[in-house]
Amino acid sequence: MIFFDGEIYENNMRDKLLADFESRICDTLSIESLSAERVILAAEKIIADIENGAFDDIISELNVDNTDHYKRLIIANLSRENLEYRLKTELGDTDFTTDFKNGITPKIRVMTKPLGVLFHIAAGNAEGLPVMSVAEGLLAGNINILKLPSADKGLSVKIVKRLCEYEPLLSHYIYVFDTPSSDVRTIQTLAGFADGIVVWGGTEAVKAVRSLAPPGVKLIEWGHKLSFCYVSDYVNHTDELSALAEHIASTKQLLCSSCQTVFIDTDGKKELICFCEIFLPYLEAAVGKHKSTSIGTRARDTIISYTASLEEAIGIRQISPDTLSGKGCSLIIKDDSELELSPMMCNVLVKRLPKKDIVHTLRNAKGFLQTAGLICNESERERLTDLLLSAGVTRITRAGNMSAYFSGESHDGEHPLSRYTRKVNIEPNY
Amino acid sequence: MKYRRQLFSVKDPYCDNSDELFTKAVKENFSYCVSHCNDYRRICEKLGISSPADASELPVIPTLLFKKKQMLNTGCIPLIKATSSGTSGRKSTIAFDLGGLLCGLKMVMRISKLRSLLSPVPCHYIIMGYKPHKGNKTAVTKTAFGATLFTPALSRNYILTYKKDGYYPDFDRIIELIVRHSRSRFPTRFMGFPAYTYFLLRIMDERKIYLKMPKGSRIMLGGGWKQFYAEQTDKNSFYRLAEKVLGIKENDIIEFFGAVEHPILYCDCKEHHFHVPVYSRVIIRDVDTLKPLKNGKTGLVNLITPMVKATPVLSVMTDDLGILHDGSECSCGLETPFLEIVGRVAPEDIKTCAAGAEEIIKGLNV
Repeated sequence: MIFFDGEIYENNMRDKLLADFESRICDTLSIESLSAERVILAAEKIIADIENGAFDDIISELNVDNTDHYKRLIIANLSRENLEYRLKTELGDTDFTTDFKNGITPKIRVMTKPLGVLFHIAAGNAEGLPVMSVAEGLLAGNINILKLPSADKGLSVKIVKRLCEYEPLLSHYIYVFDTPSSDVRTIQTLAGFADGIVVWGGTEAVKAVRSLAPPGVKLIEWGHKLSFCYVSDYVNHTDELSALAEHIASTKQLLCSSCQTVFIDTDGKKELICFCEIFLPYLEAAVGKHKSTSIGTRARDTIISYTASLEEAIGIRQISPDTLSGKGCSLIIKDDSELELSPMMCNVLVKRLPKKDIVHTLRNAKGFLQTAGLICNESERERLTDLLLSAGVTRITRAGNMSAYFSGESHDGEHPLSRYTRKVNIEPNY
Repeated sequence: MKYRRQLFSVKDPYCDNSDELFTKAVKENFSYCVSHCNDYRRICEKLGISSPADASELPVIPTLLFKKKQMLNTGCIPLIKATSSGTSGRKSTIAFDLGGLLCGLKMVMRISKLRSLLSPVPCHYIIMGYKPHKGNKTAVTKTAFGATLFTPALSRNYILTYKKDGYYPDFDRIIELIVRHSRSRFPTRFMGFPAYTYFLLRIMDERKIYLKMPKGSRIMLGGGWKQFYAEQTDKNSFYRLAEKVLGIKENDIIEFFGAVEHPILYCDCKEHHFHVPVYSRVIIRDVDTLKPLKNGKTGLVNLITPMVKATPVLSVMTDDLGILHDGSECSCGLETPFLEIVGRVAPEDIKTCAAGAEEIIKGLNV
């Protein structure tokens, strides 16, 4: 399937369509430019559609727990308020002339312009991500080529098609291909049209893109990240423990922002066991509440835990004496302090990490740190926040909000729109 | 293994009065496994099973477990070993004993009659799978080769050929051969993975190569859709494309189902349903509790057969989701229930952004 010029084509038309793609791109670049206002207007119409249930059938097929909440999130994301805020904060002042009074350097005009053509290689683990990536590219004024993840269930193309119906100009700015990643030749051809390649996801994906990107193309990588929760006082914060449990059960630890390891501010193992005994009932309750509705997921979880019990019987799996098991979840106490990926699916690692060691330890994972949920006394919050930021964490939240979307937040410490644009300089005409 | 022999000697592979004999044969196999495989005995102890009353009470072993540890029955000479194709990266190794293989041979002869697969007319074979190679022990490779023995083979050509660093599909060469075979006096039989066969048909369609294969030509599909689940097409569009591109009619398209851990040949009837043969039983189990479900409900697929003595594969559970339908729902006339595979469990190794980061950090720390 190919979406090209507002129309849907079969894959066998690909070579024909690509033959004059470059000249089409040049026409678009030379004839018109895409204002953010037009994108925002089209987005407003999509919001109305979503509110009226036009996309309900597809959304209900997605692998999301609470579809109503998911819909409200998309709407908040696409709202005029959010998009205008992002333009202002992420791009700053987009057109001004310098005025230095040093008497030596002449004045120069500074403008923000789109990169030109963005090639998005989207990941399949977050529903709706391909469209959001394209929306950001559009907002910055770019022509967007999207390679769909293989898991895409058709939501992306449906939304993109609707956008182009509302604002026909957009059909010159969005092209979608469902080329599989294994088709290197086509991916390489598509990359050849781009000024910037936006790649989401796996090590393999990022490596592959690096190897096929023509020199001079800007690579914009949104790679893998790890997140954790830091707990310095839990006895007085049981409501936050319950929120953390909710977060773990609802994301199943599958997101970049999901809590993998819980660090306790202590030197002693006894304290870790103490924490687990208090936390386990909360986690069990949350897991019970968030039982998956998808039959495939439930079947997988059943097979995994049934197989694990047989593995134990035939001696190929040792259940650590330091594991506290609950229904559908477990807490695994480990002796080291490294940030580590958990076995996921509500099997959480618990480790010690005294305050004084935060920076030393977390630096081992530098470049991969994302969110830290923080449970502590208010008097300590500022100090701990500073330590975590110094270690390289880019996002600090309450434990329950680790995977929440905050309008106006940056992404892995950066502003996407600024990465999708360039600052150009023009000497003014006197 | 007296009851096994009797069961595999039943004349009509789809008669529906074999329950008593089947139960005797599984109990016989169960006692053998318990006394010849320590791991199997430990599993029984863990599950609290000592004397199962019928097939549904046998310990169910997920195929996933065979991929993690090789389990064999001692005191039985394994004649050949076969591995699963390791779609998700891990393989299981299953050993077969001589008696089991003889049973298998009888089974294949009987079941192949259902779709008149045996024929004295020689054929060209196009195998949409692996070319046998000393490093490849997969069961699909062996069965694909086995399927070329149904008739005398004039030629055998493979879509996946082994190059220096692995198997590669070579569509151009195969299409050239098919065009040549289309002018032959003798029919051509295609055998192999549905996904590759479907790709082949699509490529020929895109290139506008339309042929009329000689009378008696057939397409045999087996080995599952492999990693191409996203490409899974509905069967009807596959049949239409086969007729358009190769002139092979729906009646001459035959699909097989099987697994190395459950080496029973399931062959589709003329309505393309997989009826359960006497040598096998299917129990669909609840995805949460693993309790047996009634016909018509979706659940995990538990396959049972007393065919193999060398490995405890008496009762296994695959990663498939399926439905067992009453035989009466099919108009073909076979009375045993039929199995419909409706999907697979969600992938176990979900690659998440967090999982990827872990790999990178580990790599850096090495």
